[in-house]
Amino acid sequence: MIANLLTSEFLKIRRKGFWLLTFLGPFGVVALQMVNYGVRKDYLLQQSNDDWGYYLGNVHSFTPLALVLGIAILTSFMASIENETNAWKQLIALPVSKMNVYLSKFTVLACLMLFSSVLLMVFTFAFGLVLDLGSAVPYMDIVQYSFFPFLASLPILALQLWVSTVSQNQGIPITVGILGFILTYSAFFLPDWVIWKWPSLMNDANEPVQNVLLGVGVGCLLYVVGMIDFTRRDVK
Amino acid sequence: MEYIVETRNVSKKFGKETAVINLEMKIAKGEIYGFLGPNGAGKTTTIRMLLGLMKPTSGTIQLFNQNLEQNRIEILKKVGSLVENPSYYPHLTAYENLEALRKVLGVAKNRIDEVLEIVRLQDVANKKVKGFSLGMKQRLGIAGSLLHNPELLILDEPTNGLDPSGIIEIRELIKTLPSQYGMTVLISSHLLSEIDQIATTVGIVTKGQLIFQDSIETLRKYANQNVSFTVSESKKAWQLLISSGLQAELQQNRVLIQDCSDGIVAEAVRLLVQAGQAVYRVEDEKKSLEEIFLQMTKEENAG
Ligand SMILES: Nc1ncnc2c1ncn2[C@@H]1O[C@H](COP(=O)(O)OP(=O)(O)OP(=O)(O)O)[C@@H](O)[C@H]1O
Ligand SMILES: [Mg+2]
Repeated sequence: MIANLLTSEFLKIRRKGFWLLTFLGPFGVVALQMVNYGVRKDYLLQQSNDDWGYYLGNVHSFTPLALVLGIAILTSFMASIENETNAWKQLIALPVSKMNVYLSKFTVLACLMLFSSVLLMVFTFAFGLVLDLGSAVPYMDIVQYSFFPFLASLPILALQLWVSTVSQNQGIPITVGILGFILTYSAFFLPDWVIWKWPSLMNDANEPVQNVLLGVGVGCLLYVVGMIDFTRRDVK
Repeated sequence: MEYIVETRNVSKKFGKETAVINLEMKIAKGEIYGFLGPNGAGKTTTIRMLLGLMKPTSGTIQLFNQNLEQNRIEILKKVGSLVENPSYYPHLTAYENLEALRKVLGVAKNRIDEVLEIVRLQDVANKKVKGFSLGMKQRLGIAGSLLHNPELLILDEPTNGLDPSGIIEIRELIKTLPSQYGMTVLISSHLLSEIDQIATTVGIVTKGQLIFQDSIETLRKYANQNVSFTVSESKKAWQLLISSGLQAELQQNRVLIQDCSDGIVAEAVRLLVQAGQAVYRVEDEKKSLEEIFLQMTKEENAG
């Protein structure tokens, strides 16, 4: 049943700009470095002996913002597909469990974000090669910088999906999205427990894996809470 | 009798407001059940509960003799529905809209072409629904509700927004469903004239309460007929009929008698002619179902 729902959901996101956004996010993040290195490559290469590491750091400085923005936009698109003509009543009147409906929405979004992360990895690596940053390519670091932020942002995805599916007023998820964006921007100044800090991979212990584990754990928790709330509500 | 839909004491409250009160709805197999009520009566709320979209505040709902709460998914496999305004995905074509439903329902792909043909949308199958007229969207919704050949079809005001020819078309379609496919149909409307033409059983709801539930024939009997006499001197004629022990009523230049059996009418005519009245017209006067409906809902309001 869940497989059928998933193929149906992927059909519904056609022509809505989901795939374009999935591409634009990682492309934009790397494109900013194209501009940066295009304008002042010599200066930037002087800043560190570890040119690859410095480059990855530069790319990563924009990844959390792109992720949080992308999550806010994609979740609100996702909810708008059903909200637009109140298709929830048609969807839930099908022989499906509400849990699986919620799971399929979440899975589609997580797949898109994961795909974005793959693209981020490819673009980062490719532009790094173009820049000719040296033969010692830090493959592990590239993978980590591409996937860790996504895993650490799962709680934000779960929260935004919950808020946008149950809100009658779509102003609420948009507000949450904007607040999240500002918080992510100010990640450096935030305490470690704030979920919007996690995609930056910063913490007092200087241990990125901690953010990943927290992200997956709290992400699952918020997902379950959102799903239970969704299933208990009357359909509009 | 085998009931496809049976609700027991179902109520639904929204905060303090009660939208449905102690509903005892019974729909037998093969019926076309006309669910009638004015705006805000609780029709859509009832239908939402029948589909498991809303939980009743109290009471139980049985569909196909199974408890809805416990067997929702099993039951919904046999139910097709269209609730309130049609829902659709405007950025997808008609075909893709049905495909999105078909995938979840798990029926054969050729059903899409079949139902598109039934509602006569095959020519616009590959156009985006965004540009459809309201009537076309409504028909697409009906197509979607028929995809899996449901045993119970629940249509909430399906002819809303259709033009007269569209209404007739949908009506003809609905009429054939029980005999051709063995479907049971629940169709709601706020217009009695619409239900009158297709329903076999009628339920009338007002202010959340079911005030009538019986065959359409029984409802028609409520149309207690009058016979009206148009005569030269109506007042005199009325006095004459009253004094002869008939239940007569004076209305402007006409006289109405309530008992319209042949003998009584013949007796009245004889009396009038003998009294030298010129009898211009003797007519059956049926109350329209609209009038009965209004009368019923008014009585409910008064009581
Ligand atoms: N989600 C809701 N929250 C609060 N009140 C509601 C809700 N849904 C319906 N109501 C109230 O319940 C009552 C019945 O509404 P319902 O939509 O069932 O009427 P209806 O018979 O379908 O009317 P119409 O012919 O206009 O479609 C109304 O008074 C309405 O205001
Ligand atoms: Mg309604």
